Order: sequence, then C-alpha cells, then structure tokens
Amino acid sequence: MGIAIVGISEVPTKKDPSRTRWDILLDVCKGAVRDAGIDKDDVHAVISPNPMAQPDMANDMALGKVPEVLGLKGCRDIAVTNAGGASNTNCLRISESLIESGQAKFILIPHTTVQSDIPVADLINFFATAPLDKQWEYPYGVTFNGSMGLITNRYMYETGATAEEMAAVTASLREWGSLDPNSIFYGKKCSVEDVLNSRMISSPLRAKECNLLADGGGALVVTSHEIAKEFNKAVYKLGHGTRFMSATPFMRDDLFHRKAYKESSQDALKAAGLSIEDMDIRQIYGAYPYTQCSALEGYGAIKEGHGAAAWAEGRCGPGGDLPCTTMGDATGRGHTGSGVSMAFYIETVRQLRGEAGERQVKNAEHALLTTSGGSVMNTCTTVFGRSSR
Amino acid sequence: MSEYKKPLPVIQPYSQAFWDATKDGKFLIQHCNSCDSNIFYPRRDCPECWSNDLDWIEAEGKGKVFSFSITHEGVEPMFQEDLPIVLAWVDLPEGPRVNTNIINCDPEDVEIGMEVEVVYVKATDDVTIPYFQPVGV
Repeated sequence: MGIAIVGISEVPTKKDPSRTRWDILLDVCKGAVRDAGIDKDDVHAVISPNPMAQPDMANDMALGKVPEVLGLKGCRDIAVTNAGGASNTNCLRISESLIESGQAKFILIPHTTVQSDIPVADLINFFATAPLDKQWEYPYGVTFNGSMGLITNRYMYETGATAEEMAAVTASLREWGSLDPNSIFYGKKCSVEDVLNSRMISSPLRAKECNLLADGGGALVVTSHEIAKEFNKAVYKLGHGTRFMSATPFMRDDLFHRKAYKESSQDALKAAGLSIEDMDIRQIYGAYPYTQCSALEGYGAIKEGHGAAAWAEGRCGPGGDLPCTTMGDATGRGHTGSGVSMAFYIETVRQLRGEAGERQVKNAEHALLTTSGGSVMNTCTTVFGRSSR
Repeated sequence: MSEYKKPLPVIQPYSQAFWDATKDGKFLIQHCNSCDSNIFYPRRDCPECWSNDLDWIEAEGKGKVFSFSITHEGVEPMFQEDLPIVLAWVDLPEGPRVNTNIINCDPEDVEIGMEVEVVYVKATDDVTIPYFQPVGV
C-alpha cells in the first residue's frame, strides 16, 4: 500500500508574462511523464491544484481541458483541489485513494501559475481577500503580510528572538535559493544586513521577508509502491499526518502551530516507523520566516523558543547540521500561488534521488515535509524515503 | 461627509445586531445561554455546544494589545492614505480576542500589553466601525 513519486518536472520560477499558463502546463506535464518514462496514455487520472487568482485557468483545469489538450487517451478521472498552499497535498491524498483502490495506476499532478500579467492591486486584493475574513479583517486593512506580521511580532515577543536572528532565517533561505537554478533568486544571495536594510512592510516583516509573487509550475507522476519498485528513481511516501487549526489567525490558540507541527509530524513518523532524528532534511512550507522556527520547535528538533537561534547559527542552511527547506521556501524561491508546495515536493524528490546539485544534502534517505494552506490554517506533514520501508 | 471608499464589513444576518449596536457606541459579544460561553465573532449557533439560544451582552469596551503590526506599504489603493496602519489583536476581559486597528496615537508608541479602549468611527449612515485607542487619549 502507499504511493511513490516516479516523475517530476519543473520550469524556472520567474516573472515573464510571455510564458503563458498553458505553455507552463504543457511543458511540465510532458516533462513529468517523460521523466517517469511512461506512455502518456498510461496516465489514468489528472488531479490538479487549483490555480489561485486565475479564474479562466481554474475553469479549464476543473472542467477537463488538461487531459483533452494533452490527448491523454487513458484518462479515466479528473479532479481539482483547493486548499491554498496545501492544494498539492490534497492532490497526493486523492491520488493515493485512487491508486490504493485500484482505480488508477499512474496519476499526473500538474500545477501552473502566471501572476506577472495580473495588476499588482488585483494581486494584493486577491491575497488579502481570499484567506481573510471580509467582515472582521478586511475592513481594517489586513493584508497577508500584515496578518503574518501580527503572528511574527508575538513570536518574537514570546521567544525573545531578535530581528537579526529572524533576518538570518531569510538569509539562509536565500542562500538555498541562490543555489537553485529554478529559483527567481538563483545566484542572488542576501545577507542579514540586506534583510535588515530592506523596507519595513508590515512590522516586524521587512521587504525581503515578504513574498515576491512570480510565475512557475511543476508536475508529479505518482504510482503505487509496488509498481514504483520497477522504477530507478522512485521516492516513496511513507507516512502522513494533518492537523487543522483555524481559518482566521486571531481565532487560533496554537498561534505558532507548534502543537499542529508536533502532532502531524508524530502521526507521519509513526506511520513511517521512523523518528525525527531519522530525518535527513526538514522541508517547511510556511511562506513566512517564523514558521521555519516554530516548525523545528514543534517537530521536537529544536527546543521551544530556540528555532530562530538555530537558523542564526547557520545550522539549517547549506552545510549546516540540520538542513531545512532546501528550495528556500517562498521567500527564497518566489511565490507561485498554489505552486510553492509543488516546488517543495519536487525538491524533496530531487534530494532523495541525489539530484539536487549544489543543494544536495549528502546521503539523504529520509525527509519530512510540511505544507500549509490559507493563513496557515493547517499543517500537512509527510515523510518521504528513498526506499519503501 | 465624504464618500467612504474602503471596504465595508460584509454583514451577516446573525451579526446585524453587532453592527446596529456600534452605531449607538456599544460593543456587543454573543453569550450562549446553554453553556455560558462568550462568543466572538457572532454566529448563528454556539461553536461550543451548537445551541442557538444566544443572547447579546455589552462588552466593557476595554482590552489589552495581544499583538500588533504596523503596515507601511502593500495595501490596496483605498487604504493608501491611512498608512501607516496599526493592525492589532486585542484581548477583551470578557474572553474573546478581536482584530482591529489602534488609532489616535503615534504608531511607534504601541506595545504588546498596552491598555486600550474602543472608539467608534462612522463610515456611512449604516455602518460604524469599532477601533481601539490607548486608554485616556
């Protein structure tokens, strides 16, 4: 039982409106199917993350254009999931149920996002209104950055994390991103001073700690553990756990998600028969720096309140003893809507295949990956491994 | 009065009483007669026990800043002239935490733990929005 990822493909994250949504989509679908080495007609289902803020593409995907345009003659089923940044996680979970019940052997999970052709005010409006409450937050000028600034300020107040330590998180994420040809920041490092000298957006968050919206896309091909054994480059999903907190941040008791990170990771690790110490990499999709700290605390990898210090000591960046978030998260990669988590899954596969280039964590066998959707409404934690248990 | 350009709260049937009260300078929260919970934001049913036997009680209108964030940029055009905007979460002595803005003070003076009180600003004839300000402004 269980699923494995046997094909991946990705286009570089950048701002380039001449590269259309369909260009990206077709390239990553063909790329992932070819990477898997299967025939296009072996794809039994297409399960897609909803392309946020792009209503035309969302309709195309929801109503079946992807298998039709690609001529996937073996396609039996399609579905779109929408859980914001956790959409891809739900695609994997639907795929797992179709594969385990024998309804599909190979499933394609494609993502595409182009935001560079959308006016900035519309993007701010989308990211302010999609996850935020129209009655109790939006009339007060809450933005996504503002909402995360509120949590970050309280995190720093409770833990004593300094501005320098918090800035070190972004500097490390950018260091990972600078080593990634698919990052918008490829070759562009950013020091702690650069972060601290950038404009204040929503205190304590400065410009370099907020997300640069960009275009991108990626795709996965998944199959069963049994079939995956015939593939050289399979990466196996070994366990999963999810915890929901709340839609609206000010309603949340578990404000830094430590309990949710703890419980979801414990579920995932238990199913995999592994412990947090067995994890060679921790991939944390939180889109804002505090999550990179509180996740480590929740996992039990770092003592509560000391997450930012671990980043400041260089432990989580390239060459550190606790490598985390090797694709740089949204702040080190560029934010591609529902696609950041796709980039996380692809990066995890690359690391466990040993194909992560300059970012490669030596002998990586196991990785823990957490995604979140909305205003961090949930933590969805998965354990992946190079072999099937 | 000039035309109000910012987004008005999208009022629901079960929150109408809250917005009616703000026009009279009252900050209401819901109270569940079945399980004694104080509830914010207003809902049709109690989220603790699902009873629909809900009453309104008037909050004292005081609170403490749990967290805040000063937004300097990155807002939609209609909020531009309000910058910097002090976003805040305020804990009410009645229990609930509310999302608001701290107004009528220098943003740099806002601190976590600061005592604040509600202040009402008329947006339109139909809607008055509650904000908070430092106690004793």
